[in-house]
Amino acid sequence: MVSHVPKIAKGYVAKCIRCESLLYKNISCNPSAVLALCLAALILIVPAFYYPLISIHLLGTTEQTNLLRGALMMIDNAPVVAFIVLFCAVIAPTILISSIALSSACLTFNYHPGYLPKILKITYVIMHWSMLEVYMVSLMVAVFKLMNYAELHFGVGFYFFIALLLLNLTIINNYSHHSYWEKYING
Amino acid sequence: MDKSAIAGRTGKAQGLQLCKVCGNYSQQAMHPHHCPFCLNEISQREKNSLQKTWALLITAIIFIFPANLYPITYLLKNSTLYPDTIFSGILSLVDSGMQGIALIVFIASIVVPFVKIIALSVIAFSVQYGWNVNPKKQLLAFYLVDWIGKWSILDLFVISIMVAIFDKGQLLSVYPGIAATSFTIVVITTLFAANSFDTRLIWDAQTDE
Repeated sequence: MVSHVPKIAKGYVAKCIRCESLLYKNISCNPSAVLALCLAALILIVPAFYYPLISIHLLGTTEQTNLLRGALMMIDNAPVVAFIVLFCAVIAPTILISSIALSSACLTFNYHPGYLPKILKITYVIMHWSMLEVYMVSLMVAVFKLMNYAELHFGVGFYFFIALLLLNLTIINNYSHHSYWEKYING
Repeated sequence: MDKSAIAGRTGKAQGLQLCKVCGNYSQQAMHPHHCPFCLNEISQREKNSLQKTWALLITAIIFIFPANLYPITYLLKNSTLYPDTIFSGILSLVDSGMQGIALIVFIASIVVPFVKIIALSVIAFSVQYGWNVNPKKQLLAFYLVDWIGKWSILDLFVISIMVAIFDKGQLLSVYPGIAATSFTIVVITTLFAANSFDTRLIWDAQTDE
């Protein structure tokens, strides 16, 4: 259904006349701010995925685990599961943040390369598959389950991961697919 | 290109098409295959949307049985193997007094997949056979399914954490079972099924009557 979107004030939204879904949201979208957030997130990704999230005292030894290890250990037994876990928790968020960083950088420096539409499309597709917040809840579930078995400590990676999660949410809130396309097409 | 689109009538009736990727509209007759703005593929309605949704839904329905009946994890403790299905895992959580966690896992791994399959099937059936279901309610159900969809991956993440923590060989280890792979397939196919469904078909079916 065609709807006419009038000029609307900041912070207001336009809705579809038929199904009342959100059509257009006038938020101030500043590519340079998004770029800064993305660069911060990209720096955080490395320690968040590499350092141990939790460590546990078990059978006299201390066992640590990070985000990558669990997925990599399942590759032999259940490759499909391992791939999906790796993809949704590690690969998709990394691609998402990198692609937003790249498109923000292009728009900030007023540089319009031929591959920019591809990057915007990748961002649009990969957005569904980035599941950092689901991983956070899973981690809490695992922590509660494990508390019954043994003494448990949060590792350095855990705090990096929380910071990454918050940054990721801020980026997604500040990124506007629509206005990036508008900026690209209008030069 | 800027042939005035009339608000209040469908774009399809006016020969217009909307690009899913960049959000611009153009005339179907002038640009039959590619969006003139972003050069991505374009069509008035997503091609074969209903068939794709059905195919993926049927795959999900097939795999939801092994996902729930077979063991999702194996606990190896002192050389003895203890299998755990999704449901027995939830029961053992309740037994050890963690009702809250049990509820989260129950919703994420049992309620969400079933609700998704049922809701998407009802929507697809009513589009296909023109059932008289309130379109706004259908759309609301679709958005709900779309939003809760990713949360069913929760159990897989928990398994990956457990596998990494319990890694003591014959003494104490956790391994993923057949159901883990089946469950992954259910989650992925339902996510794709929701993605491939074109919500505008709900309204097309209404006006056809």
